[in-house]
Amino acid sequence: MSELLQFLISGITVGAIYAAIALGFTLIYNASGVVNFAQGEFVVIGGMTAAALIGAGVPVWIAAPLAVIAGMLVGVLLYRLAIRPAGQAPLVSLIIITIGASIFLRGAMQAVFDKQIHRYDGFSGDAPLRVGGATILPQSLWIIGGSVAVFAFLAWFLNRTRAGRGIRATASNRMAAALVGINTGRAMNLSFALSAAIGALAGVLATPVTFTSYDVGVLMALKGFSATMLGGVGSPLGALAGGLLIGLIEALTAGYISSDYKDASAFIVILLVLFLRPQGLFGARIMERV
Amino acid sequence: MAETTEPLLSITGLRSAYGPIEVLHGIDLTVREGEIVSLVGANGAGKTTLMRCISGVQPIKAGAIRLAGEDIARRPDHARASLGIAHSPEGRQIFGDLSVSENLALGGYHRRDALGPDMEEVYRLFPILRDKSALPAGGLSGGQQQMLAIGRAIMGRPRLLLLDEPSMGLAPVLVDQVFAVVKSLRDRGVTLLMVEQNAYAALSIADRGYVMEQGEITLSGLASELIADPRIREAYLGA
Repeated sequence: MSELLQFLISGITVGAIYAAIALGFTLIYNASGVVNFAQGEFVVIGGMTAAALIGAGVPVWIAAPLAVIAGMLVGVLLYRLAIRPAGQAPLVSLIIITIGASIFLRGAMQAVFDKQIHRYDGFSGDAPLRVGGATILPQSLWIIGGSVAVFAFLAWFLNRTRAGRGIRATASNRMAAALVGINTGRAMNLSFALSAAIGALAGVLATPVTFTSYDVGVLMALKGFSATMLGGVGSPLGALAGGLLIGLIEALTAGYISSDYKDASAFIVILLVLFLRPQGLFGARIMERV
Repeated sequence: MAETTEPLLSITGLRSAYGPIEVLHGIDLTVREGEIVSLVGANGAGKTTLMRCISGVQPIKAGAIRLAGEDIARRPDHARASLGIAHSPEGRQIFGDLSVSENLALGGYHRRDALGPDMEEVYRLFPILRDKSALPAGGLSGGQQQMLAIGRAIMGRPRLLLLDEPSMGLAPVLVDQVFAVVKSLRDRGVTLLMVEQNAYAALSIADRGYVMEQGEITLSGLASELIADPRIREAYLGA
């Protein structure tokens, strides 16, 4: 029993990280229809920047926000320098641009930081807390809390704020959005900035548990993208649920079968869901009559 | 010039192109406050392009677009809504994955005042939209989407309403309903510029009309004169 509890705790912790990454995907997708494959790189930028600052003696409560801001700035640059100049290029071209950006950012991080694996101490120490026969790291609570906070923020932002409604309208029909007075360029810019900030925040929170290095972004993006697909592209609730589900499947497979199969089991579940319910668990079935 | 004699919309020498191909070759057109002006012409004459230039989503090469005397040709597309221009575009261009009520609310995106009364008014004009208000707009029938596009434009509380093919794809009974709405909007002080394939219906509710052919205005005048003009009757009214 305590064994199961332990697996669940680690599954939720990892799942919360995937969920935060998936929420970043969701935001950019909601604004532009683009799947941003550089999303994993923002996780690494957050983790590596925080590690470098903390290593240089900066206190964590200053380093963490700075790392998130660094990620946000790179996100704005990605939009301004790579996405916006492509103009009205087809979506597939834009998605390929994000893959190129991901490769570029990985190389840049090797140069700016290094190839070592980094971590820093958990925000509230590394002494595990006892929970009914299992243990949980205080940092896990930071990760779970952070993901839930990001989810709540996004759900509120996209549905209840003017800027958020502008982002959704821009994604739905850019010309119509311009006609009703939405500055679509600003909506795109904002969504890239926020999405990158969310990715960097995930990296800052996760690094004490998962460690980071310049090249972990690929796997992070893959898992986050899977979570997005599983939950339903475009739905913040789907991103949260998809992330947690993938984390739990991985942890239970690793615990009860073998950690060799943990990635496979997650992908098998995703395939099954996509066969039976292609719009994902929480995605709306979109109809368009012509 | 006194404010009262200034036309609401005044276009002079407007040229626009898609890439190297010029499709509007110097358009002059005016719409006075409180008028319904119809723009008729064959497919590909440039009517939709002209409407898009006015609302700003199509760039222009030369010429002036004045709204109540102010040149707005260089203002970005998203600034035009708050200047008082609303555009119900060709092909409806609704927000398909958002709900009907969200679509209407977005029509008033630039407004800072309460949208409730105008939303109520749109539901009164098109009662079917109230029944479907919570459903995704992409699931509506073509005619319902057309009503939604017009309703969304009304939500912007425009001074100048651009209607591109408001009767497209509508059953005849709905065409009558849409034209009745157009007339009622004018009675409430909205000025309308309308593009229509259905030239007879468009000219019969309009004050004045323009005929476009191959990117140029070839004829203009009072709507009643245009309906009676033998050239128009032959080319556009099937008489």
